[in-house]
Amino acid sequence: MLFAHGFGCDQNMWRSVWPAFAADHRVILMDYVGHGRSDHRAFDPERYASLDGYAADILEVVHELDLREAVLVGHSVSAMIGALAVAREPERFSRLVMVGPSPRYIDDGDYVGGFSRADVDELLTSLEGNYLGWSSAMAPAIMGNDDRPELGEELTELFCATDPEIARHFARVTFLSDNRADLPRVPVRTLVLQCSSDIIAPEGVGAYVHRHLPDSELVQLVATGHCPNLSAPEETAEAIRAFLDS
Amino acid sequence: MSGDDDELPEDSPEELFENAPCGYLTTRLDGTIVKVNRTLEALTGFDRAELVGQRRFQDLLSVGGRIYHETHYAPLLQIQGHVREIAVDLVRADGTVLPALVNSVLRHDAQGAPRAIRTTVFDATDRRSYERELIRARDREHEIAAQLQRGLLAGEIPQDPALDLGVEYLPAVTGLEVGGDWYDAFALGERAIALVVGDVVGRGIVAATTMGQLRSAVRALAGTGLEPGALLEALDRYARRHAIGQMTTLTYARLDLDSGALTIASAGHLPPALAAPGDAPEFLWGGRSAPLDATLDPEPRAQAGVTLRPDSMLVLFTDGLIERVDRPLQMGLDGLLAEIDARRDRPAAALAADLTRAMLAERRTSDDVCVVALRWAPPA
Repeated sequence: MLFAHGFGCDQNMWRSVWPAFAADHRVILMDYVGHGRSDHRAFDPERYASLDGYAADILEVVHELDLREAVLVGHSVSAMIGALAVAREPERFSRLVMVGPSPRYIDDGDYVGGFSRADVDELLTSLEGNYLGWSSAMAPAIMGNDDRPELGEELTELFCATDPEIARHFARVTFLSDNRADLPRVPVRTLVLQCSSDIIAPEGVGAYVHRHLPDSELVQLVATGHCPNLSAPEETAEAIRAFLDS
Repeated sequence: MSGDDDELPEDSPEELFENAPCGYLTTRLDGTIVKVNRTLEALTGFDRAELVGQRRFQDLLSVGGRIYHETHYAPLLQIQGHVREIAVDLVRADGTVLPALVNSVLRHDAQGAPRAIRTTVFDATDRRSYERELIRARDREHEIAAQLQRGLLAGEIPQDPALDLGVEYLPAVTGLEVGGDWYDAFALGERAIALVVGDVVGRGIVAATTMGQLRSAVRALAGTGLEPGALLEALDRYARRHAIGQMTTLTYARLDLDSGALTIASAGHLPPALAAPGDAPEFLWGGRSAPLDATLDPEPRAQAGVTLRPDSMLVLFTDGLIERVDRPLQMGLDGLLAEIDARRDRPAAALAADLTRAMLAERRTSDDVCVVALRWAPPA
């Protein structure tokens, strides 16, 4: 069972969910390149210019560990990244779980994603103003080319710290993505977990995803906001468990 | 002092809370506001009847701020129990924007379960505009340094029927400042050329201007007909006299276009690689001495000669091409020879570009990378 994090944080997003599956699954947590404790120097703006580059990260992990029959759990943008990975190599996966998916964030004609292009630009500006621990003192330690080991202790307390350049790049790619056409190509049974009052992935978007997937189940969570894996881990884990048992 | 105390307003807890020098709100875990103070009412222009039970904290944010709240703020608060100094824009009741700095802590009940969020809000209007100025200044400095670097490196590379010369130059793309790598290739009289690659210590505008001075100095000294070793000695004196470019490394090479005689002097720089026809590529370790102005009493500078065979490929480069923190230098050097070998028959410009791509693989470069490739192929 492979858990992939969304935009904004790292594998810490799953820390209250994955233990529920550790007894009967091999649990794998990953950070995309440029996030968490990955090697940030390996970030290549060209490779990650579309969500396919991130899907390739997932497939590299799958190959390296030679995973088969894998359950892929993706949160937020990783729900779509997961869909791309599964569509590319369906033989590796048994199920896909999409937590708060959106195939397109920006409104387009009749399609309501919830955002305008101006909203996304504003987000990019707000990322510039929030470095979250990313100063010239800490950046080398986070990026791994650190000659001051005393920073290591501080680092363990530093969650979700991302190079602001990489964060902006990922934000742009995420919020300008349009993967609606990829939904019908997902060839495995999929669970769509929809939160209540989620401005990132509103209920109409979850219903759209459910409607366009060939074989899916839509579960509406009581949990509010965009991160049920943190705010309601029990409910999230139970919904995934019920889906795996069905 | 004591006499004045009587005139102070009474700091009751209520008074402290309501008129604290920061906005204050308590929310449920989903953001629904349950309590606010008077300062927050004043900051936002909403009165508490419009806030308490009516709005969530995130409803007070701009749309971009709401995305940030959902993707960064809320997760971080859940994971570590607090967030500090988050910059967000609040939208006031009249639609105007209040740049704010926000701190939040998660409050737990007796059983340790999270129950509420306490948040303080500071007006950060002036701070934010100053930050924007700093960011603009930083971007401007970077752009000026990059332009300076490009300008200083501009110039024609020599053309000759016996020469195939290609250059690849990649300025650092990470970090805030440009580096100080340079290259040069120019004619020495009728039938010889000079090749130079160098690396100035430091970054930014200072490194770029130093590089420009040294590059010009090398050109001027080369015009006087100095041998490569003697040229580096003169450059040492220049660097010492003008207190610039200390610890710069560079390779200066002169190639006779008719005979293929190559003379190299290297001031602490990585050795050029030579792929002679039929032989495995190798490094030319001869003619080496210390970096520029490295000692108070410099030894005479060494130089070394080798005669190229027709169709030989010579590659000069800077350390950005091979240095990686995740592997020893020697591994980078060995890898470089293998990559040169795989492309030795390509045109020089293609070799320089391919080699750079292959060596950097998927890495972003935090250092400048400079590669000069030259094939000497005199007309038969």
